[in-house]
Amino acid sequence: MLAVPTACPFCSCGCGFHLLVGEGQLFGVAASQTHPVSGGQLCARGWSGHEAALWGDRLREPRLRRNGKQESVSWDEALAHVALRLKELVAAGKPVGVLGSSRATNEENYLAGKFARAGLATNNVGFSYYPICAPLLAGMEEVCGTPQPTLRLSEIASSQVILLVEGNLAETHPRAAGSVLKAVENGAHLITIGCRETQMARVASLQVQTTPGSEGEVMTELSDMIADLGRRAPSATVEKAAGIQSLETGDRTEALRQAAEWIVRAERAAFLIPPTCGQEDRQRNAAAAIVALAANSGHLDKPGSGILPLLARCNAKGACDMAVVHDRLPGYDRLDDAQSRQRLEDLWGKKLPSARGWDAETLLKSVSGLVIVADDPPSVMPKGQQATTALEKIEFLVVLDAFATPTARMAQALLPIASFAETEGTFTNAEARVQRLRPATTPPGEARPGWQVLADFCARFDAAATYRSASDVLREIGRAVPQYAGIQEQLSGDGWGGALLQCSRGRNPQTQVRATRTTDAESLTSTERPYLLVRDSGFDWGNDPFVSFSPTLSRDYRSQRRTFPHGFVEMAQDDADAIGLRGGRQVKLISVHGQAVVPIQVRRDLQRGLLFVPYAFRDHVSGVLGPDSIAAVRVESA
Amino acid sequence: MAFAIEKNAVSGWLERLLQLGEVIAPTRTPSGDVLFSNIRSAAEVTWDLPNPLHPPKEFVLPQTDPIVQIKRNGKQHEVEAIHDGRRRFLVNTRSCDVKGIAFLTRMHEMEPADASYLRRSNNLTLISVACTTPCPLGFCICTDSGPFLSSSYDAQLTDLGQSYLVEVGSAKGEATVAEGQGLFRKATETEVSQRRELEEKARQSFGDQTCHFASAMRRISTGRVQDPLWQKMSDWCLECGGCNVVCPTCYCFSVKDLGRDGSWIRCRLRDSCQYAAFTLEASGHNPRAQRKYRMKRRFFHKVSAQYYSRDGAVGCVGCGRCVQVCLGATHMPAVVSAIRKGNWHE
Repeated sequence: MLAVPTACPFCSCGCGFHLLVGEGQLFGVAASQTHPVSGGQLCARGWSGHEAALWGDRLREPRLRRNGKQESVSWDEALAHVALRLKELVAAGKPVGVLGSSRATNEENYLAGKFARAGLATNNVGFSYYPICAPLLAGMEEVCGTPQPTLRLSEIASSQVILLVEGNLAETHPRAAGSVLKAVENGAHLITIGCRETQMARVASLQVQTTPGSEGEVMTELSDMIADLGRRAPSATVEKAAGIQSLETGDRTEALRQAAEWIVRAERAAFLIPPTCGQEDRQRNAAAAIVALAANSGHLDKPGSGILPLLARCNAKGACDMAVVHDRLPGYDRLDDAQSRQRLEDLWGKKLPSARGWDAETLLKSVSGLVIVADDPPSVMPKGQQATTALEKIEFLVVLDAFATPTARMAQALLPIASFAETEGTFTNAEARVQRLRPATTPPGEARPGWQVLADFCARFDAAATYRSASDVLREIGRAVPQYAGIQEQLSGDGWGGALLQCSRGRNPQTQVRATRTTDAESLTSTERPYLLVRDSGFDWGNDPFVSFSPTLSRDYRSQRRTFPHGFVEMAQDDADAIGLRGGRQVKLISVHGQAVVPIQVRRDLQRGLLFVPYAFRDHVSGVLGPDSIAAVRVESA
Repeated sequence: MAFAIEKNAVSGWLERLLQLGEVIAPTRTPSGDVLFSNIRSAAEVTWDLPNPLHPPKEFVLPQTDPIVQIKRNGKQHEVEAIHDGRRRFLVNTRSCDVKGIAFLTRMHEMEPADASYLRRSNNLTLISVACTTPCPLGFCICTDSGPFLSSSYDAQLTDLGQSYLVEVGSAKGEATVAEGQGLFRKATETEVSQRRELEEKARQSFGDQTCHFASAMRRISTGRVQDPLWQKMSDWCLECGGCNVVCPTCYCFSVKDLGRDGSWIRCRLRDSCQYAAFTLEASGHNPRAQRKYRMKRRFFHKVSAQYYSRDGAVGCVGCGRCVQVCLGATHMPAVVSAIRKGNWHE
């Protein structure tokens, strides 16, 4: 039995575990008591972390599509063909692009970006989770000048106040949720802001109910109250609230005042923000407002306090740092940052393209040639069906992945790469901790490490690339991304030794948040369209290969999709009672954009007036939602 | 009869056992963790390590356990059992884990007996070391599974400073000691009484970590734990299933076929009764859809009088692993305490 220490490939908490190997095959997972993030604990996903790599539909040999079929070929043939076809497209003046991924390693993402910029001379580069997290990062950047976290995961448990914008932390980031529970157990005040009575909301001291998309307004209110409190002595009447206090609109102001007092009085306060929903402008504003609140209350750069953005996937942060993003350069620097540009041109020995690339959505629709590294746009992007249609139309689609995802099945050239369990590389978690992956077994069939394949691409396109190992790539990353300088040396030891990137602790935060230009979601409703249809801001784990290929983890999701082949929309119990609807009944949803017929599921934890679409079922109502993730609708029984 | 072996002779004994089969012992990994793993030489065994977070049940019930191989032969399918009859010696294991394996074996011996499990357990020799100091989170005195044992082990070692006292508890244990011919001697009466004193001292040095099973058992067995309490407790469980993974007495599993080049290996996979899909039926119906019902089920199985009378023990060996591994706050001592007091966290 061999126990190989490696980083967990699921959410962005970045736990660590040992992969257990016997006779060359993975058979289990063992937690690590010495890991700085997980400390002997794991969530359900982590405990089944070995399953996808072992049980999954793995890609074993390179394939090229001929006569409509993906036929297996040699690596040499596949690589030569890919290079030839891409060069033909470029020579014909057709647009090409590259997608990295929030589940690919830093090394893979870095080389994907380098290949696009130095090899294909384009900034058409992205990853499909970016449209979801970009407004959050932009909001943070607006206030701090950078989207870096200022709180470490380990600091949550000792916080005295935790302000959580609640998606569903217990499900999205169980490790962080565990720390929140620990803090509450130790007497911390948990304030949740959201539209559902989730598990975290049930254990909170204060639950602030909001309409999705109006989190920013609550933050601004809280900021104003904190400014007020600064002008007078804190009232003596605020006592530690016992139990749960759910808020009616009437005493909302009083409750927010109490929250403001808790925040001001706390020595250590944690602010946890996931991507929210609603118009991009409002999402950006909500993020900016919460960071401004942290700054106004003095918690942005205090030791033990700070903000932590909760991105869904293990390496979403790394993908941003490596800039598989159409308008950024490695280091998440702006495209027009002359210094950064010069540094990269010197390093790569190539003149870099200066025009902005297309964002992921436009890119999919517009390119003729596309290289996708371990990404599956139909299951990740807000408009999944649209992504599928776009991918089908791409003239030459190259996919590098370890798993047979829907995207992989559409590829003209399919290149099998090693999964997290078989490769070297690094992930950067939500708190900016860079951690090593260590190969526990050999990749199946002829699959190769992704960095090797991408290095080969770079070489064929005259972008210098002589790496003997993933560590060599990381060493180069250290020169391309100033924050990663020296990381390779720090990670070379035997132990967990994750390296924490320096987090900027709010340089001169800009605490006046500019007002949103968009209207708030609630005012969209009218007597004609009294309900708000809201798309979950989350992430569809059920379609992620690490879950869908795990026998233990996929059961719930599979069953749900089988039981509801046409999806469903969730409705509050009181609303359903009022119109006399029962769970399972079909309803017709009508908005200004269009209509759809879907079954409803009745929920007790949902706020009245809202209809909630799980992210997995978003495509069933995409015509009703229109361009946004929130729309006012009328409900008719169908 | 009790034997004794000088500490400097132990590695000679282990070297002989290595000739006979796999020797498994707690070892320190480069990351600083302690894990049970196969050792290649006796020198790799460190005796004073803390008990590993992962129990040794991995060696009788692996997380992925191949049971049968299914091959296609023309239009027929051939099914062949996969045998793991390797001889294994589990060295430097603790009392709680010996009791854990005894619990698992008792359960797998019940009709219909589980041949795959029993083949492994019959070939496993448990050479335990009695605990002279309690571990920080352990409460084995509440579950009658430590710090010293009077049964269930094959051989129990007690650290007497220069030597180990060796108690033999089974024919397997006898055979294992016989392998060390010339290395063991008959224990003196002083050594035997020294062991008794050490056990008494160990019992007295347990701290506050306790688990009042009796009163929890009365309430659970008679359905006197109210639904709102289960609801409240379930809000503090993050459904990680870690308690099941590390519990020395948990054995729930699911079954799945692993396809490999035209043949399949039917595997038993470690599962958790706390996962929503564990009781999910093919129709989509789930009799325990809410977490509170899954929790209720788990603790009924572990602590109820109904199961106690079947198993002769509570389904807990007091190792304290669930306390360390629980991502939420609903480990055994916390839940038992809440049930006893009738409320949670107040």
